[in-house]
Amino acid sequence: MKKARVATMWLDACSGCHMSFLDIDEALLDVAPKIDLVYGPLVDAQEFPDDVDVCIIEGAIGNQDDVERVKRARERSRILVALGDCATTGNVPSMRNPIPVKTILERVYIEGAEGQKVIPTQGVPALMRHARPLHELVKIDLHVPGCPPPAPAILYVVSELLAGRIPDLKSKVRFG
Amino acid sequence: MSEQITMRIDGQVCTAKEGQTIIEVAQANGRYIPSLCHMPGLSADGCCRLCLVEVTGLNRLLPACTTPVRNGMSVVTDSERLNQNRLMALELLFSERNHICAVCVSNGHCELQGLAQQLGLTHIHFTYNYPKLPVDVSHPRFVLDHNRCILCARCVRVCDEVEGAHVWDIAGRGINSMLVSDLQRPWGESQSCTSCGKCVQVCPTGALVEKGHAVEEMTKRNAVVTQLAIKRGTHP
Amino acid sequence: MTRIRDLSTFNAVRTTGLGKLRPHHVRIAVGMGTCGTGNGAEAVYSAFADAIFQRGLDATLVSTGCFGFCAEEPLVNLYSPGQPLVILHRVRSEQVNQILDGLLEKNIPEALALCKIEQWDHITAQIDYGAGYPMVPLWNEVPFFQNQKKIVLRNCGIINPDDIEEYIAVGGYQSLYKVLIDRMPELVLEQLKASKLRGRGGAGFSTGMKLEFLFKSNAAQKYLICNADEGDPGAYMNRNEIEGDPHSLLEGMAIGGYITGATKGIIYVRAEYPLAVNRLNKAIAQAREYGLLGQDILGRGFDFDIELVEGAGAFVCGEETALIASLEGRAGRPRPRPPFPAEKGLWGCPTDINNVETWYNLAPIVARGPAWFTETGSTTSAGTKVISLVGKVRNTGLVEMPLGTPLSQYVYDAGGGAADGHSIKAVQTGGPSGGCIPHDLFDTPVDYESLAKLGSIMGSGGMVVMDDDNCMVDVARYFVEFTRSESCGKCTPCRVGLDKALRTLTRITKGEGREEDLVELEELGRMIRDTSLCGLGQSAPNPVLTALRHFRHEFEDHIRAKRCHAGVCLELALSPCENSCPLHMNIPRFLQLYKEGRLADAFESVIMDNPLPASTGRVCQHPCDNRCRRQGIDESVNMREVHRVIADAVLLSDQFEEAVGRVLAKKRKATGKKVAVVGAGPTGLTAAFYLALLGHEVMVFEAHADAGGMLRYALPEYRLPNSVLDREIEIIRRLGVKFTFNTAIGEDITLNDLGSQYNAVFLSIGTWKESQLYLPGNELAGVFVALPFLEAEAKAEPMQLGNHVVVIGGGNAAIDCARTVVRRGSAATVIYRRDRGDMPAIPEEVDAAEKEGVRFRFLATPHRIIGERGGVKAIEVTKTRLGEFDTSGRRRPVATGEVQVVSCTNVILAVGEDVDRDFYRSAGLTITESGMLQVDRYSLESSRENFYAGGDLITGASNVSNAMSYGKDAARNIDARLTGDSHFDGLIPTFQYDQTAPAEPSKSPRHHAHDLPVAIRAKSFEEATTALKPEEAFEEACRCLRCDIRDSAHFAVSHR
Repeated sequence: MKKARVATMWLDACSGCHMSFLDIDEALLDVAPKIDLVYGPLVDAQEFPDDVDVCIIEGAIGNQDDVERVKRARERSRILVALGDCATTGNVPSMRNPIPVKTILERVYIEGAEGQKVIPTQGVPALMRHARPLHELVKIDLHVPGCPPPAPAILYVVSELLAGRIPDLKSKVRFG
Repeated sequence: MSEQITMRIDGQVCTAKEGQTIIEVAQANGRYIPSLCHMPGLSADGCCRLCLVEVTGLNRLLPACTTPVRNGMSVVTDSERLNQNRLMALELLFSERNHICAVCVSNGHCELQGLAQQLGLTHIHFTYNYPKLPVDVSHPRFVLDHNRCILCARCVRVCDEVEGAHVWDIAGRGINSMLVSDLQRPWGESQSCTSCGKCVQVCPTGALVEKGHAVEEMTKRNAVVTQLAIKRGTHP
Repeated sequence: MTRIRDLSTFNAVRTTGLGKLRPHHVRIAVGMGTCGTGNGAEAVYSAFADAIFQRGLDATLVSTGCFGFCAEEPLVNLYSPGQPLVILHRVRSEQVNQILDGLLEKNIPEALALCKIEQWDHITAQIDYGAGYPMVPLWNEVPFFQNQKKIVLRNCGIINPDDIEEYIAVGGYQSLYKVLIDRMPELVLEQLKASKLRGRGGAGFSTGMKLEFLFKSNAAQKYLICNADEGDPGAYMNRNEIEGDPHSLLEGMAIGGYITGATKGIIYVRAEYPLAVNRLNKAIAQAREYGLLGQDILGRGFDFDIELVEGAGAFVCGEETALIASLEGRAGRPRPRPPFPAEKGLWGCPTDINNVETWYNLAPIVARGPAWFTETGSTTSAGTKVISLVGKVRNTGLVEMPLGTPLSQYVYDAGGGAADGHSIKAVQTGGPSGGCIPHDLFDTPVDYESLAKLGSIMGSGGMVVMDDDNCMVDVARYFVEFTRSESCGKCTPCRVGLDKALRTLTRITKGEGREEDLVELEELGRMIRDTSLCGLGQSAPNPVLTALRHFRHEFEDHIRAKRCHAGVCLELALSPCENSCPLHMNIPRFLQLYKEGRLADAFESVIMDNPLPASTGRVCQHPCDNRCRRQGIDESVNMREVHRVIADAVLLSDQFEEAVGRVLAKKRKATGKKVAVVGAGPTGLTAAFYLALLGHEVMVFEAHADAGGMLRYALPEYRLPNSVLDREIEIIRRLGVKFTFNTAIGEDITLNDLGSQYNAVFLSIGTWKESQLYLPGNELAGVFVALPFLEAEAKAEPMQLGNHVVVIGGGNAAIDCARTVVRRGSAATVIYRRDRGDMPAIPEEVDAAEKEGVRFRFLATPHRIIGERGGVKAIEVTKTRLGEFDTSGRRRPVATGEVQVVSCTNVILAVGEDVDRDFYRSAGLTITESGMLQVDRYSLESSRENFYAGGDLITGASNVSNAMSYGKDAARNIDARLTGDSHFDGLIPTFQYDQTAPAEPSKSPRHHAHDLPVAIRAKSFEEATTALKPEEAFEEACRCLRCDIRDSAHFAVSHR
């Protein structure tokens, strides 16, 4: 059987969803032979590859780079999964949204800085006005909320997707 | 003295007393109707619009919490149309203010969060409003976080009807409506508040909470308030 | 103090009142409603007062309410004994002495007289004034009043609202007296039910039944409430009713009190209506004084009193439970019903709430009976409804017509239709909670059920008329903005849902709309409608839902094409002129560049927006003229003529080569893609110009022997010399565009051939087929069709003409034919079935034709052509008159049967052109219902892949610039398709130029192009209109107000 080409992506988030993914423990052994992990924080690939079957994204869209990465993932993947509250609702990254970007940057890099008081502009992508959930930018095929989504829910999602089905998550997951 | 009547809820034959509302009869017969503003022991306000049900023969949807039952009435509490409206109402509530479940003291014990899970809401397709809202920590024992308030007015009613203090009210209108204590003074400076905490117990979300709790630690005991209301006879 | 306790006192008061209304001397009544005072009635009143005092005249001066025709205020009623009551309109204080001078000699200033009243039916009484003044029309002969029936407004504008005796004089309080004497409340309730009177606040519930609920209640205390908290934008019926006739309200409520057993009435009136509050307070005091309110009314042992409460004007207080909450001193928020107010209302007591207008109907029904009442109106909705007619109509004001009257009678007959140059698009009924109804549904009767069927409501009776200057997306956004800010915030759908809807609509008006927004708006709208707690939320989505239903394409234009054709959504337009230009020329830019003396830059700016600038500079329909903001100061900037000057100065001079070089420099590198353009008319030439610039290889196929299409073959030399057109085409050739002439598609080459040889095909063959007008005598020699006639002329093979040629039609082609005929030395008469103002031809062309001796016969339609020896002898025409308004907003010509014969030697039929449908059907392209080639509205792609079409072929006969715009859009879309990228915008040059708006508008008046003297031009094919002189063109450029500059202080103020 052809292995499914799976990518994962870590945007504006704490990586807890990736941790929770790994928390499926011994089930990893069942999943591993069925997938080819072609991109993500767990593998080395630098460029998002073409022809991805499933791309699982953790995190909100917080900066200009995130926008480009999500668009590319959408173009090159058949199924896009938003994993976790940051990807589905904006969650903790979105808590900055009521506050203007300038105010936040000044608070952190000027008022809060101990050494050099300067707002970095070189080598870092520009912050978006709001940190936003993925579906506000691209079409998302499956939302898996949770902070993080529990490992069994992730296993269920992955197993169903590998079986060629979009899982019905009603009552199985929740925000928070 | 009131007359016994017979009606159907989702096909199930139920007996009820005249004057009861649909939601009361449904609850007595083990049929759950989603609601956020309704609470046994308090007057019905009909504001969250989640409990709307279909009544056979009527095109209009009726709120189960305020509509009295009639003999021979046939009620549908669950349908595609109702479900879509309920999901949309929940989405509107989630996107109105800043509900970040993951960092809320009521995480896991919140009625809004629970309903979203139960109805299968996995994302909010409306754009979020992200309003900048204050948190009132002036009270020595309690906190009011406007970010999490859904304006269900349970606190307003419990304080007025059960405690008799009428600390709370809703000021402003439309999207700018805000819960206020006394005449828009900080809660801690309220002259009328008895610090009884009933408002905290009935609040369905983490908007009114006790101080000193970490994430997921705040649990509410609104059944106590219901019993109290019944005992005191303030139950409408 | 006259307390009325018996009939004889009542009658005595009545006689006194009649004496005031019809005194033995002159009576002058000035309309002093809010609308009157707003138009200067106070100055008129004091001028009369001064003049009467100074002259020591024996005259009464009073103030009245408004007679309804608010657009004509200030209105003044003149009465001299034995003469009709004359209503003067638009009276100014300077005219007062002149009016009084005339009056003493029983003369009426005719110019000021709007109408006269010889006899007035107050419903409760009839007043005869007398006959006379034959030159003044009767009131119901004035179009605005013609179909009106004044039941509610029976006294408004006639009696003095501050004088209870005048009210009693016209039968006031007689119905109350009757009810108190009869002592049969049940009977009155039955009468009310039989009258089918329904609540005029909007919901339309039976008033009789509602009052009966209250009557049946055994409670000791019951309340009646009048809802006078009128809060809809654009609605002011209740205000004028109270201002003009407050006692009718008091009487209606007192009758209501007696028949229900309520002893207390409350009028909840808007605090923003100070005059209404003032008049009501006076009226209540007077009624108490005369024993008509308070204890023992009319000596019949009935107690009833009325209290006035001023509301803060919250829209939600139109909802009865919210109104009650407000009366009780709580926040105006509704509560769920049941319990209904009839069981548990104000202070927990049974309460009946009715709208102002409902109460006004009670006295007439008691006086004249239910059978009389049901004579008026439709079967389900009896009586009349007062509508406040506002917006884009000529006549605004209060219109009271029977329920069931079609919308068209309000808009066109009473309203007088749209202002010149505009057409009416829709009507919003029922205010912000109502819906918009498009003009093709104007035959809808105005009653509760019919409006509901269209997704709108009757509401309290606001009617806002909208024309082509109104953007329906913006209208929907405006109303949602209103309801969102008026939402009380209690229930989720209304509080949050309306806020979401507003955010989405605002995004769309800014050009940031998304495709899925429309479905979301519809779903959200339905949810808010179905689940909101009260009427505000339940009806608030109506404007959005109806706009989406009837004007979806406007939403799509905003989202997909980022265009607002009405020019309202500022983010989507550079300036009103740019927005109105089909080619979206950057008009302020070329004006400014010309002003700065940068002719070469100005030309580049012009030609890159419009490849045929000299031709369009002569013959464009110039929609920009109707949109220019300078019209608010004097006249619009003559933009078309300036770009003609710019184009001529370069094309016809030694600057030509440099200009061509600039254009060629923009040509992108070759793409290797081949595009065929079929038809070398303005549309095809435009497409070819841009496609070549974008690097594609372009071949144009044309059936004629030369390029230019209608510009060459249908426009006579005196309007557009071929030498001008040739220069423009030369630029297109030099861009590398190739032409294959004398090649007709379908005959010499097939669509399949093109499909296989080219990467894309653009069809732009226009409308060369003449519409067939069946006319007996068509076949006679000497009868021509316009296009072949003009074409023969253009090819210098003119047709033989006799000495008098009749041209049938009212479009540009008809005028072109007539002016050509004159130049051929024959007489020309244009016969058109409508009136002059309805002609589609450019007005300047019509004027020029008339000056050249072309005669016009309007309101006549050809019947048959009479022949003689195979030739034409005469044409028989039937005279027409203007009938009802049709869907185009013009009055439909109706044949009168009166036949006239016009002798003539030739007839030219210029009745429109058509698409050759058969060819496209055979080629396998889909045709629309209206017979045009079907293309996607935005991509212009036809049903066949890579086959695009544009111009008259898809729109029907149109005009040059409109047709060219399709060529431009097609080039953009074809390039995007062929290259997978977008390069079009890169072609448009950028310039640095002054970005400050003029501090003061230039003083110069508009310069018009110069016509050759008639004597010369009528005999010559020389160009009839010469260009502006350079200094005139410069002054025109200076007249521009620079609406394209947005960040000025002025803009900041007007668009907070």
